[in-house]
Amino acid sequence: MMKAGPSPEEIRRHNLGTLLRFVHLRGPSSRATLAEAMGLNRSTIMALTADLTAAGLVREELPRGPGRRAGRPSLVVRPEGTRVYVLAFDLGVDRLAVARVGLGGTILDRREATRTRGEFDPNETVGALAGAARALTRKAGRDAVCVGAAMAFPGTVRRSDDVIRFAPNLEVGDVSLGDALSRRLGLGLPVAVCNDANLGALAEHVRGVGIGCDDLIYLHGDVGFGGGIVVGGRLLGGQDGYGGEIGHMVVNPGGRLCGCGARGCLEAEVGERTLLAYAGRAESPDVSGRDAIRAVVDAADRGDVQARDALHRVGDWLGRGVANLVNIFNPGMVVFGGTLRDIYLGSAAQVRSALATNALSAPRENVKLRTAELGDDATLVGAAEFAFADVLADPVEVLARLRSPEESRV
Amino acid sequence: MPFATPGRENRTGTLSDHDRFSLAGDASRWEPPGMPATPLLDLRGIDKSFGPVKVLHEVAFTAYPGEVTALVGDNGAGKTTLVNCIGGIHPWDAGDFLFQGEPVRVNSPREAADLGIDIVHQDLALCENLSIVQNMFLGRERRRGLALDDAGMEELATTTLAGLSVRTVTSVRTPVASLSGGQRQTVAIARAVLWESRVIVLDEPAAALGVAQTQQVLELVRRLADKGLAVVLISHNMNDVFAVSDRIAVLYLGRMVAQVPTASVTHAQVVELITTGRSGELGLAR
Repeated sequence: MMKAGPSPEEIRRHNLGTLLRFVHLRGPSSRATLAEAMGLNRSTIMALTADLTAAGLVREELPRGPGRRAGRPSLVVRPEGTRVYVLAFDLGVDRLAVARVGLGGTILDRREATRTRGEFDPNETVGALAGAARALTRKAGRDAVCVGAAMAFPGTVRRSDDVIRFAPNLEVGDVSLGDALSRRLGLGLPVAVCNDANLGALAEHVRGVGIGCDDLIYLHGDVGFGGGIVVGGRLLGGQDGYGGEIGHMVVNPGGRLCGCGARGCLEAEVGERTLLAYAGRAESPDVSGRDAIRAVVDAADRGDVQARDALHRVGDWLGRGVANLVNIFNPGMVVFGGTLRDIYLGSAAQVRSALATNALSAPRENVKLRTAELGDDATLVGAAEFAFADVLADPVEVLARLRSPEESRV
Repeated sequence: MPFATPGRENRTGTLSDHDRFSLAGDASRWEPPGMPATPLLDLRGIDKSFGPVKVLHEVAFTAYPGEVTALVGDNGAGKTTLVNCIGGIHPWDAGDFLFQGEPVRVNSPREAADLGIDIVHQDLALCENLSIVQNMFLGRERRRGLALDDAGMEELATTTLAGLSVRTVTSVRTPVASLSGGQRQTVAIARAVLWESRVIVLDEPAAALGVAQTQQVLELVRRLADKGLAVVLISHNMNDVFAVSDRIAVLYLGRMVAQVPTASVTHAQVVELITTGRSGELGLAR
């Protein structure tokens, strides 16, 4: 049987989600702006905002500042940026970060800790993250409600059940960190786990340099090298959600040995260890990877020949990797984030030369190479956006479900 | 029986998209499609002599809105002279100066500023004893009645800096003397943005800066262009040029030997153009 058109309830849910997403991403907007942007009439907008206001997701106020136009001013719809929030976790190789992010995308509060490399104890890490998160939720107001939680993780994560399948730089094995963290938090919310570079791509697409660009590739450098591919405004996940592992694209068959077991992966040719090895610097446990890379770029600028040579070699491989991506995906923008920002800015001549010689001329002529605008927070912001996905898809229903247990308790 | 050619209606969505695509762009134009056809700044056949020394020979130079155009060349190639002609400091001897396709005459820096052309010189021209906001409004202070509108100017300076995503400056009342090199560069650039310049020429913005500050200034330069301004960047550092530019213009002994999209050349080619004036097909005719 053919499915009939969407029911009025479905249309309403869709419109509520669209309106909430608009004020979440674009900031406070007048009813008139919303009506124009969504193509709905003002009375429908009024009914939708009334529902969202009743659910405690937005509030309406008179516009601030002196109005210059004649007539009754259109009410401004603002997201409830402090009362509705999510918890965003970033489990990096060198750092742990937790943030409480309000509706509208403001980071309200955050905790950060450095992590020493070496043995990874899932229990200890989850405990530390949960402790920091509890401290953050305690500081939120009594009427504030947490609507989601998500964690960025540097490894491949299965989409169906959030199990970590492979993490070359954090030895975990097949574990479900999300479930463990969710139990320790005790908020009655699942914690989604997602690949960090995928989340970085999402963040730069909706809040960073890639706003308005629906086809972009985000490359994230940490110890390893990840990527996220946005095609037609959607993150490319693939069959099981493992997509976007750009770091393990083989660019140099028979090249350097990679943590994944193959030879000549982009990660092996461009990663932190390779750059440090080329530059003749030993890895030291006292210096984080990011600082070590910045030191190499700095030395190259001051005239250290070995450091400059190392940067040039790495930049050349990076350019070849980007050339492959440009040929396959024809992106509008390639964004370099994490430590790759420093590597790109320090070796742009090599990257672009390799791109000009290795990519087809048609797909490369309009591609923009940019650095991440959100900087080190890209993965954290991406986790927050991922955590908001549920409430943005079905705002009123999710809020009702979250608030009801509290009411029954009182 | 010949094979039937599929009708238009049988084509898939991607193919018809492709048709629309090819109709939109004119293949004979070498600029990337989607770009405005008229450059904001268009110089043709500019000659300039200082007494018996001919510095610029029939120089052509264009700058497009939304793009960073890098102007490179060896010492004495004529970069600074060209920029001074654009900024109205030197009158040129012959040639056409088109702004938005209209021929104009730029006889003084003030006339250039009125058109929306702003030059950030290497020495920045900031007053060390004045604050950031005083520097940004120097000579163009806003008044409220008889007094100066300090609050209004501060607010505007703060929003301008915030609009450029500058987070390193804590207060706009800080005297410029206490700022670092990169922060001063930022203030000098923000001053140009504040006055709604449409063409910003940056003369060696990263010459005296450390790596971290250079990177910040480069990202700022990129953001200016992404906001729709035409940016002209003079630099000796090939890496900076490749990091942010969309187009590279090479001057060699007073002649413009090439103006090419950055995506189509390599580092080695640009260095060859700078030092010998030609590289393969590009540059001066043999």
